Amino acid sequence: MASGGKRGRFSFLSEKFSSIRMEILLPFSILMLTAIAAMALISTVYTKEAVYDNARNYTGRLLSQLNKDIDSYISYMENISVMIRDSEDVQTWLFGEDEEKREQAGSAISAQMETVLRSRPDIYNIGIIADSGKSLINGRTDLLNQNVQLSEVSWYREALEEEDGFQISSSHVQNMIRDGYQWVITLSTAVRNRNDLQQKAVVFIDLNYSSISDLCENNRLESQEYVFILDADRRIIYHPRQQLLYGGLRTEHTSDLTLDPEGEELAGDDGKTLLYISRSSEKTGWTVVSAAVTKEMLGKSSQAGIIYLLAAVVLIVVGVTVSNAISKRITQPMQTLGTAMERMQSGDLQRHPVTVEGSREITLLSDSFNQMSERIDSLVQQNQREQEEKRKMQLRALQSQINPHFLYNTLDSIIWMAESGKNEEVVKMTAALARLLRQNISNEEEEAAIEQEILAAQSYLTIQKMRYQDKLEYEINIASDIKQERILKMVLQPIIENAIYHGLKYKESRGFLNINGYRIADEVIIEIQDNGVGMDEETLAHIFEEHKVNYHSNGVGVYNVQKRLQLTYGAEYGLVYESRKNVGTCVTVRIPVVRSEQIRKELSEEEGA
Amino acid sequence: MKKRTENRKKRYLLFPLLLILALLALSLYEKKSDRSKENYSMIYIPKVEDEANDFWETLIQGAVMAAEDYGVDLQILAPDSETNLEQQESYLKEAIAMAPDAILISPQSVTESNALLKQAKDAGIHVIFIDSYVSEPVQDLIIATDNVVMGEELGAYAATFLEEDSEIVMVGHVQNSSTAIEREQGIRSGLGSFEKNVRETVFCGSQFSVAYDQTTELLKKYPDLDMVIGMNEYSTVGAARAVRDMGRQSEVMVLGIDNSLETIQLMEEGVIRAIMLQMPFNMGYLGVEETIHLLNREKIDVKYINSGTKLIETKDIYTEENQKLLFPFSGKGSFFVNFQPFFG
Repeated sequence: MASGGKRGRFSFLSEKFSSIRMEILLPFSILMLTAIAAMALISTVYTKEAVYDNARNYTGRLLSQLNKDIDSYISYMENISVMIRDSEDVQTWLFGEDEEKREQAGSAISAQMETVLRSRPDIYNIGIIADSGKSLINGRTDLLNQNVQLSEVSWYREALEEEDGFQISSSHVQNMIRDGYQWVITLSTAVRNRNDLQQKAVVFIDLNYSSISDLCENNRLESQEYVFILDADRRIIYHPRQQLLYGGLRTEHTSDLTLDPEGEELAGDDGKTLLYISRSSEKTGWTVVSAAVTKEMLGKSSQAGIIYLLAAVVLIVVGVTVSNAISKRITQPMQTLGTAMERMQSGDLQRHPVTVEGSREITLLSDSFNQMSERIDSLVQQNQREQEEKRKMQLRALQSQINPHFLYNTLDSIIWMAESGKNEEVVKMTAALARLLRQNISNEEEEAAIEQEILAAQSYLTIQKMRYQDKLEYEINIASDIKQERILKMVLQPIIENAIYHGLKYKESRGFLNINGYRIADEVIIEIQDNGVGMDEETLAHIFEEHKVNYHSNGVGVYNVQKRLQLTYGAEYGLVYESRKNVGTCVTVRIPVVRSEQIRKELSEEEGA
Repeated sequence: MKKRTENRKKRYLLFPLLLILALLALSLYEKKSDRSKENYSMIYIPKVEDEANDFWETLIQGAVMAAEDYGVDLQILAPDSETNLEQQESYLKEAIAMAPDAILISPQSVTESNALLKQAKDAGIHVIFIDSYVSEPVQDLIIATDNVVMGEELGAYAATFLEEDSEIVMVGHVQNSSTAIEREQGIRSGLGSFEKNVRETVFCGSQFSVAYDQTTELLKKYPDLDMVIGMNEYSTVGAARAVRDMGRQSEVMVLGIDNSLETIQLMEEGVIRAIMLQMPFNMGYLGVEETIHLLNREKIDVKYINSGTKLIETKDIYTEENQKLLFPFSGKGSFFVNFQPFFG
């Protein structure tokens, strides 16, 4: 490859990256990659945010709902306690003077309590406790735990201190009732003596702790999310992992939290961050908090992230493929053009029109190239035609001329014979000469039938034989099946001339020329054999050289004959010289049958046209 | 020329291909890292599951919660009585046949289950003891209360009330039982220089009445007695009842180990000054949690885990955190009902 050396100078890499295709593909790919990566990142972040916001909003609404549920539940319970507290019976039972009336009122309250307890299984205890130690609990069934000091019980103490208000305790074990010890939330409110407005007794309702914990457990959100409730003093009212907290196996960041009424905050927990969302209730003073591992919250968004990632991969594949196609569209015609130019460079000047589809610049380039190649091609063809023409003219000139020496000698011989009164010979020789001349001028074609050529050779030999008298003898044997085969003109005659002038002429004794024509397979073989002086090896080796011009035969040398034969029939055909000094020379002419048939056909077609 | 172009083509394809592979690997890695927790299968065989027994109920609850938290497939095979060795053995056989990742067991007998546990071990099942263990060290891990440490803490607490000439008696539960030996050893070492003040140690065989009688005798024997230390629920409650009934609660301080409703009531009455609490919930929770660590090969050198104890004084019964430890169940549990007969 002619361009190989040039390319070799570049290193592999620089060649790769300096190609237009790469120059297009690389920035395109990088640009696309960056854009898609940015998009995916933005989408992921946005989705993350959206998922996060969604979760937060959802949780916030859920917590508010939970707060509302708790509030309305507590309100309901407050109404029940108010019903007991404000009843006339309680006033009578607590502050009444008359023993009997007090007893009656007590019974009425007991009945009322029993009704409440029957209708509300979530109420564990309902009762009235007075400072004096007087108590009415769950009707009359339960008694106070004598080992507990009333003043040490916070829900009791605080209720007395509060005017007309309600106290809601944290979740605790109710130890005021003998043998009770249940987990409850106590709602307490003070009873005011209508006479002196002193608060000396407390009405309380113990709510089953699980009524609250069930609310929370029902509202458990995702697997890793949980809800807990803190009271105003940040004591835990409910926590799904309360036992773990108190057992020291887990910690909750209750003290780190600011616990805004509508707050959201993050707090760490050995490596994982939790999002705390809190909603406070004014009524109970409780704060409902949901805690979620942020990582888990984003589980959905990481799924979306994977989808984005896959989409990005697909987009990149498509993008790279498209930019590859685009760069190919640009560079492919250039490559085609380049290949065509290389072929031209390597010497193939024939016209190979390049059809290139692509951008206007490239088509213009290829059009110019095509025009140029066409021009070159036509010039080359013109040149070839001119050369051919020239050669033909030359040949024709040669053919149309009879060697003047030969003509002169022959005419001289005819004169000499006429003078000697050899009329018969004169006629014979003149006829032969006439035939020969006609043969030479009659036909403008390059080729002639072997038969005709042989006839010409015969005429020639007849003349020569008469001139040389007994010194020349000849024999011609042509197989009949090749007689119509065609052969280039001026092939046999120069060879025969050579045989006579270089071989037989110098022979002391009588010379013999033998011409044999026959066919072997697809070849026509014509042997011209003489028993002349022959050639030494030196002469034989240089027989086909150009300067060996035969002046006897119009300058048509063996070189010329051989060249014409090979040009016409191919390099494998032509003349073969065999010669031995003092023995003789044999020239074999080989031409193809097929080829001459083909040529004949073409010729006949031409003639037909 | 053509071959060259093809080669080049392949190289162009290589770039996006590598990119895709990298991205896919990334997403796969993310997915894989999400799934680090394995679903282990475990079987826990407690000594007993009985609604009346708060200790075991709480322990099982702890184990179940840990299993829930960690996504472990936990099955509980519980005998209906603490002395039904035959049932525990048959559960153990059943558990071995199921070939779980680990068998957690609180063996009833120190010796009888050795062969079966060895068989489980040979079958490639991890064996974890919770609360108690057997004589042969077939286990991978023990999670239990460290009785010596618990004793030491109680002893040290007791020492803060003692004077040079104070007199102490100790009421143990089962003589020569490992827990009794370890607790006594711990208490004595916790008492420090007051160890010499221990006048006598008796063993009630985990019978309320025996503890009551023994303490009554001791109260008579040592009129200047300052302190009685019980070593389990039976000995503590028995001793406290005796002190109360002898009317000596103002002079004799009672300290004890383990919790029941009666213990709490005796504390409210001012008979018992303080008790040491075991942490059965922690024991169950840690049992499962530490087994996961073991199976994950995170902590392979740990062989013993103390589930912890807590000292609770009368004044602290109703603090936020102690309530949950002393009253692990909400509502009117059968626990309370079942312990009613001990009153009066």
